[in-house]
This record gives sequence, C-alpha cells and structure tokens, in this order.
Amino acid sequence: MVPLIFTLVLSLTNYSIGGRLGWVGFDNYLRLLNDLFFVKSYVNTFLYVFLGVVIQYWVGLGLALLVNSLTTGKRLMRLLILLPFMMPPLIVGFVWKTMFDSRYGPLSALTRVLHVGPILWLNDPALAFTSIVIVDTWQWTPFMFLILFAGLRILPKEPFEAARVDGASDWRIFWDLTFPMLIPASIGAILLRSIEAFKLFDIVFYITGGGPGGATSTATLQGYFTALRSGNLGYGAAMSIVLFLTVVVLSSVALLLVRSVHFRKPMLGRRALERTARIAATPAGGKL
Amino acid sequence: MTTGAKMAESSSTTARRRNIFGSTRLVRIGLLFVWGLFAGFPCYWMAVTAFKQQRDIYRGPYFVPFLDFTPTTRAWEFMMGPAREDVLRGLVNSLLFAGVSSFFAVVLGAFAAYGLARYQYRYGPYRNNDIAFLIVSQRIMPPIVAVIALFAMFKTVNLIDTPIGMIIAYTWFNLPLTVFLLTDFMNRIPIEIEQAAAIDGYGKGAQIWKVVLPLTMPGLAAAYLLSFFFAWNDFILALMLTFRTSVTLPIVITNMSAQMEPRWWLISAVGIVAIIPPILAVVVLDRFIERQVLHGGMR
Repeated sequence: MVPLIFTLVLSLTNYSIGGRLGWVGFDNYLRLLNDLFFVKSYVNTFLYVFLGVVIQYWVGLGLALLVNSLTTGKRLMRLLILLPFMMPPLIVGFVWKTMFDSRYGPLSALTRVLHVGPILWLNDPALAFTSIVIVDTWQWTPFMFLILFAGLRILPKEPFEAARVDGASDWRIFWDLTFPMLIPASIGAILLRSIEAFKLFDIVFYITGGGPGGATSTATLQGYFTALRSGNLGYGAAMSIVLFLTVVVLSSVALLLVRSVHFRKPMLGRRALERTARIAATPAGGKL
Repeated sequence: MTTGAKMAESSSTTARRRNIFGSTRLVRIGLLFVWGLFAGFPCYWMAVTAFKQQRDIYRGPYFVPFLDFTPTTRAWEFMMGPAREDVLRGLVNSLLFAGVSSFFAVVLGAFAAYGLARYQYRYGPYRNNDIAFLIVSQRIMPPIVAVIALFAMFKTVNLIDTPIGMIIAYTWFNLPLTVFLLTDFMNRIPIEIEQAAAIDGYGKGAQIWKVVLPLTMPGLAAAYLLSFFFAWNDFILALMLTFRTSVTLPIVITNMSAQMEPRWWLISAVGIVAIIPPILAVVVLDRFIERQVLHGGMR
C-alpha cells in the first residue's frame, strides 16, 4: 500500500528529476485528458488486451483440446507449444524484430518467394499494431494453454463416457460438457492474463518503441517514457494511477459478473456426475 | 422389421462417424503442425543466429547453416572464455531463485487455496471470493510501483542483493498466481472423496497429503511451471534488487546488449543456454500435468 500512496501523492505534484516540488492538485489529470499521445496509448492498451486475450483464449483452448486428443507425440507437442513462453523477453524482442525486418527478415524472404512486394511491417501504423498482437499471441498463448490443459486433465471422465454412449457428437460434447466444466479454469486464466496484458511493456519497447507515431504505444510505455526518460515524475505517476484504477474497476466488475458462475463452480462437476449416475441407474443405460 | 432398420441405420451412422473422425484427425494434426511451426520457428531462428557472424545477421535472411552461411562457434568460444563467469553466475542464481521460490509459492499457495476452497471465511465485508480477489489484485499494481516499496523494505533488513532476499521477492511475486489458480483446482475436487478418506480413518493432514494433493497434481505442476517461467524471465525485480552477487540471467543478457552494438550472436547463444533449464523443468513436470487421477475415484 505504501508505494501506491507514494505514487498517488506524487501524481498531484509537478515533481520532475532535478526540478522543484510544487503542489498542482488535479492539474496532471486534467492534462491527461487533452494529451493525445496518452489517450492513444490508453485506447491501444484496451485494444491489445481485448484482441490479445480473445485470440489467446480460443487458440489456447483449441490447442489444449487438440493435444488432449492426440495419442502419440503429446509430450513433444506440449514442449513445442510451451517454448515461446520460456524465451527471455529481450531475445523475444530481438528475434521478432528481425522476423519483421523488410531487408533481412525471414518474413521478407517468404513474401519474395510469393512475389508480394516487401511488406514494411513496422512502418505502417496498422501493420505495426498487428505485429505486436501477433507477437503477444505467440508469447502468451502457452500461458492459456498450460492452465486450460491442466484444467482439462482434472475433469471427471464419467460424464464424457456417458455422453459417448448416448451418441453425442464431438461438437455437442464440447458445448454441453467440456466448455461449461472448464469455465472456472477459463475465468482464472482470462483474469490473470488480462491483468498481465494491461501492463504490456517489454515487447513493444523492444520491437517498435511505441512507434510509428505512437501507433503501438501502451499506457505503461507512455508512463515510462514520461517519468523516466523525460524526467516528468509527477505526470508519469498520474498516468500509472489512471491505469491502475482502470484495471481495479474493470476486474472488480468482471468478478461481480462471474460471481454467479463462481458460486456454481463446485456444482458443475457434481451435477454432471449425478446426471451420469441417473442415466446409469435406468435400465439399458438410459434412452436407447 | 423395426429392429433390422434400426440396426442398419446405427451401423451406417457409426461408419459415417468413423469416416468424419478419420478426416478430423488429419485436420487436427495439420492445425497442430501449423501452430508448432509458428511457435517453433522463432526459437529455431534464435538457435541459428547463435552460429552467425554479425555481418551474416544483417546481410539477409540466412536459414540453413553450411548451405547459405558458414557457421562459426565464436559466440560459444566467447561464452566459455571471457563471459564464462558472468553467464555461469547468472545461470546458477536464476536456477536457484526460480526453482526454490516456485516451490514455496506452490506449497504456500496450495495451503491458501485449500483453505479458500473448503472453508467459508468472513472478515468484515470480505467473503472468500473477495479475499481471492484481494490476493490477485496485488498483481494489478504496476511492477515499478511495487518494486520501489520492496527496495525500501529490503534495504532496512539488509536483504538487497542476497539470494534469500530474491527468493522471498519471487515467492511474493508468484503467490497470487498460485493461490488463484489452485483455488479453482481445489474447488473441483468433490468433498465426498475427502469424507470417504475420513471414514477410512485418515486425519486431516493425511487427507490433504494422500488424497487432495495427488488429485490436484496437474494443477500443482502447471502452477509450478508458470511460477518458474515468471521468475525465470523476470527482469524488473532483479534489476532493482540485485547488483553483483545475485544477478540473474536476464540481467546478464541485458548487460550484453547495453554495449555499443548489441552482439546478437552472443546474446542468442546465451538465450539458448537460458532456455534449457525451463525445457528440463517441462520435461520433468510433464508427467504430472498428464496424470488424470480423478477417474473412477467416486461411485
């Protein structure tokens, strides 16, 4: 709590490195509203979180189901999927920066073979933004995968066997059994991932540095540049307070929304088991 | 007549299903292959870069050693020679901090999660879900803000730049994650299994040790791996809290890039070294994630 209060107080001053300390009240916050660069970074952060989490959740879930259904090569596949998550961030930045480079990058070799002109990935605002989403997905899908896969392994088998006996299709089994039973693990994964995504910093810092023209900047990056590069500590502190409050409010709202599901959580598995028991108890294993 | 028709119908549906299943199998393998390529190629690129010279890195995409560029072992010689002490120290420190702190984070997290899953708490307006949220909310704080406080605290108790201090810091850093994840897993275990164990004469400790922990094994292993990865790749805590004796590998790598021209061949070579311990951790813990014990345990 102490550092939070410290930052809060700092955000109400115009303190800067080597400057004098003066009380400015809420001026910093009013200034933020008119700061186009900050507003842009703030909106970008939301877009990153939304796009990144949605893509990573579905891809991670898909991969977890796919790997779970494999009969051979499971271990190798899991290792391969988890690889991106183990790379040190600096090297992630370097590798992807060269990947996207229009002169010596592997992607440019691919476009040359396909006879598409060189794509300037990091110079076009929209493409640069897409690149960051791609790298983010590459790096963080393993996180989703690991949580969801462990969640899959702990599900009871009986409901699935019962559904198979009843002749349910894979599609129905997924929507009626797997997905609802995975909701608790999904909530945990999505919440943790969103919180981390709001702090997105390192890959943007290494790959684009926020450019071109602030198109890929995030709120954390903007706060860092303001506070530590320009030395404007008070203003930078105000930025991080705004981001902090946003995440607190959003995750509280999210938790309130999912609370009903949370309370149903222990019931989901049990209800499925009871249903199975009922089906098993009827002669000839239920309807046939 | 009806039975005959039904039988014919059912056999045709099974045949059709098998057919669809066969083709979906191919699709599945194809999808996994595509993702494997996407996930693995940058890693391959890092591995190849470690054998290039600086000019080969900047002259064009060279993919295969011996075919389009001559590999050198210069990076490896440099790492075994002048940079050996730094890399070795970083490696040992990172291994120690990540391994031990993740262990503590998972053990403490498992106890907290068990409590949150099995008992109803009430502290003023706070119920179980609120407590879980409070614990997670610690992760929301921008790390820079939290690290300044840690620095001040560690300074007063002389823990800066010590292994114990770093282990405490990473345990603190990963605990919210493990508590939150494991609460979900603990919740999923039917209480009837524990009651059955109690009837069989197990005490509370034995129930947890022999029944609950083995059943949550996939969750425990996943939580350990995640904590390990986070501690392994952490940059900001190590940057603020270490100076010389307990620097971690990411700091060593960053120091290498801080020189005039980043020597990417060397950094990639250290990157390969840095990726080996997490791979070993996955290989060791994989069997526990795989384990599916909640099968036929309850009737």
